[in-house]
Amino acid sequence: MLGNFEYRKARSIEEGCQALADAKGTAAILAGGTDLLVEIRNGLKSPKLLIDCKRVEELQNVTLSPTATSIGANVPMNRLIEDRKFRESYPALADALFSIGTYQLRSRATIAGNLCNASPAADSAPVLLVRQAAIEVTGTEGSRTIPMQEFFAGVKRTTLRSDEIVTAIRIPANSALHTAFLKQQRIKGHDLAVVNIAGAYDSDERTLQIAVGSCAPTPVLLDPIHVDASNLQAFSAHVARSVVGSVSPISDVRASATYRNAILPTLAKRIVFQLLGDKEASSNA
Amino acid sequence: MHDIQLTVNGKAERAQVPATMTLLELLRDRFALTGAKEGCGIGECGACTVLLNDVPVTSCLILAVEADGHRVDTIEGEAVCGELSILQQAFIDTGAAQCGFCTPGMIMSARGLLLRKPNPSHEEIVEAIAGNLCRCTGYEAILEAIHLASQRMQDGGAS
Amino acid sequence: MSRELQVVGRPIDRADAIDKVTGAARYTHDLAIPGMLHTALVLSPHASARIVSIDTAKAEALPGVRVVLTGDGLCYQLGLYMQDKCILARDVVRYQGEAVVAIAADTPDIARAASQLVSVEYEELPSVLDPREAMDDGAHLVHPDLHTYDHMQGVFFPKAHSNIAHHQKIRKGDFDQAFANADVRMTASFYNPPVQHVPMETHATIAQALPQQRAELWTSSQSPYTVRHLLSVCFGIPHANLRVHVPYVGGGFGGKAGLGLEPLAYVLSRAANGRPVKVVATREQEFNTLPSRQGLHSTLEIGATRNGKITSLKSTYLWDAGAYADYGVNIGRAAAYSGAGPYSIDNCWIDSYVVYTNKVFGTAYRGFGHLEVLWGIERAMDQMARKLALDPAEFRRRNLLREGDTTITGEPFTPGHGKPQECLDAVAEAIAWGIPSDPPTAPHKVRGKGLAMLHKAPAMPTNTSCAAVIKLDEDGGADVLISGVDYGQGTYTVMRQIAAEELGIAIDKVHITWECDTAFSPYDWQTVASRFAYMGGNAVIEAAADCRSQLRAVVSQALSVPADQLILEGGKVYPSGAPDRAIPYSKLALGYTFENGNSIGGPVIGHGRCIATGLTHLDPDTGQGLPAQFWTYGAHAVEIEVDTQTGEIEVLNIVSALDAGKVLNPKLCVGQVVGGVVQGLGSALWEGFVFDENGRFLNPAFVDYKIPTAKDIPHHSQQILLENPQPGGPYGARGIAEHPMISIPSAIGNALYDALGIEFTTLPLNYERILSRIRERAEAN
Repeated sequence: MLGNFEYRKARSIEEGCQALADAKGTAAILAGGTDLLVEIRNGLKSPKLLIDCKRVEELQNVTLSPTATSIGANVPMNRLIEDRKFRESYPALADALFSIGTYQLRSRATIAGNLCNASPAADSAPVLLVRQAAIEVTGTEGSRTIPMQEFFAGVKRTTLRSDEIVTAIRIPANSALHTAFLKQQRIKGHDLAVVNIAGAYDSDERTLQIAVGSCAPTPVLLDPIHVDASNLQAFSAHVARSVVGSVSPISDVRASATYRNAILPTLAKRIVFQLLGDKEASSNA
Repeated sequence: MHDIQLTVNGKAERAQVPATMTLLELLRDRFALTGAKEGCGIGECGACTVLLNDVPVTSCLILAVEADGHRVDTIEGEAVCGELSILQQAFIDTGAAQCGFCTPGMIMSARGLLLRKPNPSHEEIVEAIAGNLCRCTGYEAILEAIHLASQRMQDGGAS
Repeated sequence: MSRELQVVGRPIDRADAIDKVTGAARYTHDLAIPGMLHTALVLSPHASARIVSIDTAKAEALPGVRVVLTGDGLCYQLGLYMQDKCILARDVVRYQGEAVVAIAADTPDIARAASQLVSVEYEELPSVLDPREAMDDGAHLVHPDLHTYDHMQGVFFPKAHSNIAHHQKIRKGDFDQAFANADVRMTASFYNPPVQHVPMETHATIAQALPQQRAELWTSSQSPYTVRHLLSVCFGIPHANLRVHVPYVGGGFGGKAGLGLEPLAYVLSRAANGRPVKVVATREQEFNTLPSRQGLHSTLEIGATRNGKITSLKSTYLWDAGAYADYGVNIGRAAAYSGAGPYSIDNCWIDSYVVYTNKVFGTAYRGFGHLEVLWGIERAMDQMARKLALDPAEFRRRNLLREGDTTITGEPFTPGHGKPQECLDAVAEAIAWGIPSDPPTAPHKVRGKGLAMLHKAPAMPTNTSCAAVIKLDEDGGADVLISGVDYGQGTYTVMRQIAAEELGIAIDKVHITWECDTAFSPYDWQTVASRFAYMGGNAVIEAAADCRSQLRAVVSQALSVPADQLILEGGKVYPSGAPDRAIPYSKLALGYTFENGNSIGGPVIGHGRCIATGLTHLDPDTGQGLPAQFWTYGAHAVEIEVDTQTGEIEVLNIVSALDAGKVLNPKLCVGQVVGGVVQGLGSALWEGFVFDENGRFLNPAFVDYKIPTAKDIPHHSQQILLENPQPGGPYGARGIAEHPMISIPSAIGNALYDALGIEFTTLPLNYERILSRIRERAEAN
């Protein structure tokens, strides 16, 4: 048996919030369980109550509208990855999710769970940051929207109040946005990120925005950079310098700070070329 | 305690379980279905893989209560009336089982794959079992077995 | 063998495969005995500390807790070669992760909860974490009482008042003079970190202490008779009173070769008034508490002539034994006598030290020291080749052992040893050695090729032995009883093939009882060292011959035909030229009955055995002697591609050649090679224990200890099995079980030089290390 807790199925979001509030910080939401149950087993978390909202229908929905895509908090990652339309509309996010864990884990794990676990290396975070996503949450006092940049508070901490449940991740539609995701692992098999990075090129604004994970207490979103595609070598080097200057990786059992600092500029440049490679060609034509 | 009902290998089952019991414990300790194994307890090795509504999952990270109302399929349900499935026979034919400890989980991951993709590509087969660690075989015979099984199924075998 | 083999040499499927693909196979993890208790352990958080006090009162008071044991009440010293280990830590803890308290309770949850109620007070002591420091005078002594420990006399030589558990010496010729006179000289140092076997089934044992000094155990083990023997010696129980069962085993790789959890399970059961007790390692405990493969620091000095002939080799090995050196001392010995690689070297001095440190202890692991020493040897061979401006393959050819040469222990090399050069040539050809690789897949990538030789003999005592029994059944089939354990290698399948071949019956009529039971299965030393196919095979051949001779005797009488005119074929016995007079085995298995009712003979039960022949102890000063029953040689060649911006390495191709003597079952043999190569890749590219500066183990789980997945295997692989027969081997076979893993890291290290021009001397060759060296070199330029 895993730890010492009670379990309760919530039939609605309100019921879930109320149960959270009543537990006064001693309860946790059980979504995919792929982080939470491991932490309970390892003694890192000891909630007295797990609240399961997986039967609440609206948390299972993925809705695409002209202005935004809304991904319900309980949608498992595989469902998104295996949806052709989703992959076509959000290729970088699909790549990021696909890089997480194993097939079995992804059949349970959710984006909401990945974000709420709030590891600095959360693989879904960088793409959501550069896409200006927002997290919809509901508490006993009502619902609010938390912009992605305001969601992480520190290592394994979010800005959620203790009675709030994530209900959906909302990604604004933007046909001018071209995104890419790269992740450095230690092995081809499933692994946490040594470094992960996302880039979004806005072809209307002609700006590039980068977000980096596993190099600071939280994933970091850099300010947009004005794009100069006439000399991608120089531009990518400039982007790389900005990226390195914006984060402070540490050494841990996975990798040294030196390695992270060495990988970062490489990945940053690769993202630039991936997003702008054909722009340089066409601008030099 | 929670009363749960679920279907295991096609058979309706009921149990009374504490919240903290995992699906893996339910299968092994209550239903004596010891095919699924504990290799790590944290979802990293895949030895506990079973199908939950036809989807491969690591049962060590699913609570028994979460399986309430759902269908679970384990290795013990793979053979029908004592007849090995095409997948099981392929594992034998290519020598895909050495010590055998990872084998039930491997076959369940493969079964899940063939259910959603009867004619998978090599990359899809690799991805499907990448979450099942094997220390003995070096994976070649296992990948070959899954290819072989899907070919045989395409060639008109049942399953 | 002049006649054509019917069964041996065929790719027969395993019979056990059906149990494995249906989930019917039951491993110790799956077993439950009525009344069984479950165990939790309290582990030391310190690498080196005195146990000041242990408070177990709260744990004992928890309902459902039946036994709480500490080391105090368990004054036993255990070990096969060196008795340096206790069942639970006594007085001091010697590594972080060492078991200090054991609790047996009605359920695993209660046991775990109770373990959290135990409090232990420690006084931290100095520790020593690096074997090089442990060799210094004044270093903290891990075993101050080393000189009082029993050990195998005449074979192992611990040094009193030091951290040296054993010092193996090889002294062949005069190194100093030959080195001084060499045209070209080099020195290089290498390092292997400790790694773990990672069997998918962690260690597990159930023990039941029975009245009148008896006990019964079910255990995931490679060596039921070693378990029985060591428990007998430790607890003073007569051997026959200890019954050991080994059900299906989920991988061993040497980690389950010796005593693991058995003594603990036994004392818990004894303290629980004979209730059975199950002890199962969690994955974290498998890494942190159960044994590993020793780390190794090696330094090699090599001298050669301008023509590429090695004249002199001096090696110093410092084995990082960890806190206990039981198996470690034998690895230190075996690696020393193998320490020249498969080469002829006239002047060779080796000093192999097995050194205690305050870390988790080492044990046997596939290769038994050979992967570790050949990392150094095969890398140094390439370095020396470069100094001589010789192609690495050619340099090796000039030095491989040939008929007329002697090994460094004075053993003559004969044609029966097999053909290492053929192995080298085969892989060189298959990898297109000497021809540059195809262009890499991107401008920032580079490709390279590397090759490495390997060799190993079974590291076993001079009196290693094995027995087999074959019983014929009423239906004309046969039951084979052996104690070799099949933990994935296919042992049982091969034994069945041999029995079927020798008895002249169909393989599906030959049965091997899967579970080994020391009450019924005849003795075998241990299923390790790649010696069971050889020794067990010979024992089965002899047992079958015994059956045949019994059958002949009865039929001779029944038909009034001389025994030597009888043919045994197709499960029948008949006089030569008169097949119509055949009597099937089914009419002979329990004796033969004449028409009138008279009966002769009786149940046909044949027995056979095999004992190591001609082996000698090694001279303690020179290492001269005959340690090896047979040698198996091989080679690997690899092609890799490296991303010079990230350090990522892609293995494009691995070709492996082994001189198997006789391939008893090609499917199983290839399976062993493919699996061993991938396990070797793990050691080469990813695996290694990480400790903090206080000796705390930092990566005891799959999150941060990575083993290859299906995504990590080479793009392409090839297995070449040569058959130059081994005299004395069954059908000419020699063992190949460990060998595929050996020298994989060496070949990759050599390929990395080819690709990057950088010498790597430390494992694992992970992306970070590769990139770091690339950048270092760029900065230097």
